[in-house]
Amino acid sequence: MKKTLREAVSYGDFVTAGLYLALLIFGVLMVRSATFGTRFANLGNRQIFWAVLAFGAFSLAFLIPYAIWVEYSYLLYGLCVAVLLSMPVLGHYVGGHKSWLYIGPIGFEPSEFAKVAAALAGAAFIKELVGRTMGWREIGILSGIIGLPMLLTLLQPDFGTATTFIPLIAVALYLSFLPLTQIVKWAAIGILGLMLLLALGWFTFLKPYQKDRIITFVHPTANTRGAGYQVNQARIAVGSGELLGKGLYSGTQNRLNFLPAPHTDFIFGVVAEETGFLGSLALLGLYLSLLLRFLSTASAARDAEGRFIVLCAFAIILYHVLINIGMVIGLVPTTGIPLPFLSYGGSFLVSMSLFVGLAANVRSRRYAQ
Amino acid sequence: MKGAQEPSLQSKLQFLQAILWILFVIFALRLFYLQVIQGPYYRLLSENNYTRPTVLRAPRGMILDRNGAVLCRNQVSFSLVLDTAKGGSLDQTLLNMQRILGLVMTKEEVRAALRRSPVPSLAVLARDIPTAWMQKVEANQDELKMLRIEMELRREYPFGPVASHALGYVGLLSPEEAQKLHVSDNDPFIEVGKSGVERTANALLMGKNGLRMAQVNSLGREVEDPTLKLPGVGIRREPIPGQTVHLTLDIQLQNILEQAFGEEHGSAVFMNPQTGDILAWVSLPNFDPNLFSGAVPASKWRELSEDPSHPLLDRPIQGVYPPGSTFKPFVALVGLEDGVLTPDTTFYCPGYWDFGGRVFHCWAKGGHGTVNLLKGIQDSCDVYFYHAGDRIGIQRMDKWAKFFGLGTKTGVDLPSEISGIFPSPAWKAKRHLGPWYPGDNLPVAIGQGYLTVTPLQLLSIYATLATGGERFQPKLLEGPPKLESSVAISPQTEAVLKQALELVVESGTGTACRIPGVAVCAKTGTAQVVEASAGRNSMSLPKDERDHAWFAGFAPAGNPTVAFVVMVEHGGHGGDLAAKIAKAGLEYLLLGKKPAPPDEGTKAAPGGQAPEQETPPNPDAPLKAHLGAVAPPPRLLTARYAGGVNPRGRP
Repeated sequence: MKKTLREAVSYGDFVTAGLYLALLIFGVLMVRSATFGTRFANLGNRQIFWAVLAFGAFSLAFLIPYAIWVEYSYLLYGLCVAVLLSMPVLGHYVGGHKSWLYIGPIGFEPSEFAKVAAALAGAAFIKELVGRTMGWREIGILSGIIGLPMLLTLLQPDFGTATTFIPLIAVALYLSFLPLTQIVKWAAIGILGLMLLLALGWFTFLKPYQKDRIITFVHPTANTRGAGYQVNQARIAVGSGELLGKGLYSGTQNRLNFLPAPHTDFIFGVVAEETGFLGSLALLGLYLSLLLRFLSTASAARDAEGRFIVLCAFAIILYHVLINIGMVIGLVPTTGIPLPFLSYGGSFLVSMSLFVGLAANVRSRRYAQ
Repeated sequence: MKGAQEPSLQSKLQFLQAILWILFVIFALRLFYLQVIQGPYYRLLSENNYTRPTVLRAPRGMILDRNGAVLCRNQVSFSLVLDTAKGGSLDQTLLNMQRILGLVMTKEEVRAALRRSPVPSLAVLARDIPTAWMQKVEANQDELKMLRIEMELRREYPFGPVASHALGYVGLLSPEEAQKLHVSDNDPFIEVGKSGVERTANALLMGKNGLRMAQVNSLGREVEDPTLKLPGVGIRREPIPGQTVHLTLDIQLQNILEQAFGEEHGSAVFMNPQTGDILAWVSLPNFDPNLFSGAVPASKWRELSEDPSHPLLDRPIQGVYPPGSTFKPFVALVGLEDGVLTPDTTFYCPGYWDFGGRVFHCWAKGGHGTVNLLKGIQDSCDVYFYHAGDRIGIQRMDKWAKFFGLGTKTGVDLPSEISGIFPSPAWKAKRHLGPWYPGDNLPVAIGQGYLTVTPLQLLSIYATLATGGERFQPKLLEGPPKLESSVAISPQTEAVLKQALELVVESGTGTACRIPGVAVCAKTGTAQVVEASAGRNSMSLPKDERDHAWFAGFAPAGNPTVAFVVMVEHGGHGGDLAAKIAKAGLEYLLLGKKPAPPDEGTKAAPGGQAPEQETPPNPDAPLKAHLGAVAPPPRLLTARYAGGVNPRGRP
């Protein structure tokens, strides 16, 4: 243990840790502003607690060598799948789906932790492949490992969270034996297929509110009181921030309840409104720096499993950032995907922290034998 | 293992890095576009989101009479307003409204109300609503989202229809008026004067609305948040109330006169000749201006505007009639001043005058014999004034007419005044009625022919006579007198005319207005409605064919403080009711006599003929049928007022 600590300190990835801490503090500030003076005001303080807890999770993920994490990954994975399987019985209804589990007064979302477990289990599988190239069969197994908790989440039915497993599968595919040109080709086919699925789903399984969101994405001002209201108000929040913002705690769209879900899905609206273009750009810069750092770590990683873990962290955070901010600034349709480190929520913050901690872990131990 | 995978992996990571940069640049550009380029636009939208302007209504000024009696004030009332800017379906709202309030309105009616409104998104659906509606609208806001209750200040006229034509009425500002008056308030309840003093003094009476910017949250509730200091919120511009307007009107005199008319229609104006202050302004039938300050039902409006007795017509300035014999003193004045007549000039009246083959009759069939000026006025001898008119000629009369306000508007501070006609050769030529014949002078000299006046113009003649030549602009609003014209009438002429007019009241046709201790100068007159044969008693005709009766003059003779004109429509002989009405007014003004209870008034007719008495032939009877050649062209008289002189039966 002493050795690993020294190792972590001497080669420690303090850049990742610094960026992480900056995002964590930024997030707490924004949640406090987004809930100030509302009936959610206590969430501002609770987010501090979550942040402390998340920092603990980050430290744990950082300090315990990732080889150990990988070693016990199947156990963690099995535990998560078991909990997910029991959700129809043990789960609590929140927002129309059974995705919450309560232990005493503390509730958490098992599907969030299943993502980390799935990434670690995937890494363990890759570790076993040493020397062999990944063929279609291996990719199939890897996708199955990630797809199982995804399927269970989809059954809750938490569509939004389920989609966040997709980046992990994408990483598996990306790291496969296929050359880049093939991957680009398959990605294009995949996007086309997704659009076809969407078109098909329009007439079959998409719920009315989901259709509304798509209509609203195409025509945000078509119905300013109905489905378009949220998107429209979010855009006003972002735009009215102008260059310097209205100041922390002074966003009118936020404070006077025009902005929907300001402390969760639309928290970027608060950032944009209160800190302006410069603040938003700074936040984007933090994310960009963190993600570039992950790519650099992936390149420097000692082994395939480490690389896989870092790229999972990269993919999942990128996915959340793109979908969430894209939604607020009107580049993608409305979905219930939260923004990492900023949106209120303990489980999500902890799972994201675990990913960042593991990524920092991989970098810190890139020379270890 | 590492070496084998390296090149492919590195290129894949580099590819990811490139994609990452591209995505973030796209996001940054999008943010730049929304926040920096479109920022001001969205800032405005956000300000519109959280601010709500509330109109602070300015009360309209009060209207007081010369003694401070309140003629018009404001009363709080509540209205039902539809706001289309609120979300919701109009059809559903109308259905809910019908169910909850029992108010039935069609979509078309609402659209019409929206068009009328100066604020395109707001429509006033009902005014002066029952209090039960207020609670129902509040309680059912979820179903009646588009409706709300607004408080407004409604005009109230405590005296009801008394002096309605002087006061006028108000109505909601129309979009055209908003443009004309440069009113840009977002308030559908701005009222403007539509007639009377309400209109002429509108600029004084109308206040300026204030504004309060409240901070609202997404539910439209007002919130006061000391931790949130926002630009534009908390601005409060106090309303500027309209000014109180003082009138020269004496509401007691007004009341006395309107009561004196009884059931009769007509007009009466009392004025201080030395200042132009109007003391009473009677136009009957009148209307209740209170009706106009709520929502006027279309049926009520139609009823008033289609009433054959024209209650909305402001008779003193919109009714045009021949002055008849009341014009004779003016003719005498021109003759005396221009040296054509002297007080001793006499003419012989055999009852008619054969003027170049055309016979002009006097009202007295048997004639007056030899008549001098005093007797000519006192007995209202037509033949005397045919001769006088022939000697004076239209040019001399035209020269003097402008000093007495004939043929021009008096400029009284009331809207829509029209003017009668003072005929002249130039006027006749312009109308393509041929050249001016010497015979045209004769009917003009007895107040007939082409000559017409409004009651106020006739009053102007007598007021100018009373002041010895100074003519003041008649006015209802208190203020300094405004001299319109001035001409020096010689004291001799003034004395002669005053003497003659005094005699009319003392022992002539106007004895019904004799007041012991007061020297009243006045003259009776008749405006023909239907031509009657010579000497025919117009009182025997059906009521609506009887002549209009004039009574005009001033008092006291020495230093006149009041000039007046009374016109009773279809009143027949001018000496009776019209004179009695004038008497009631004069007694109040000069002797401080309060009106007697109605039943006493009919009994007492001091010095006058009892109404039942056999009436002598009308001394002021108009011209006869054979004067058709110079009869007033019908269209001129009927153009404005069909109920005035009715030239029925004429070609």
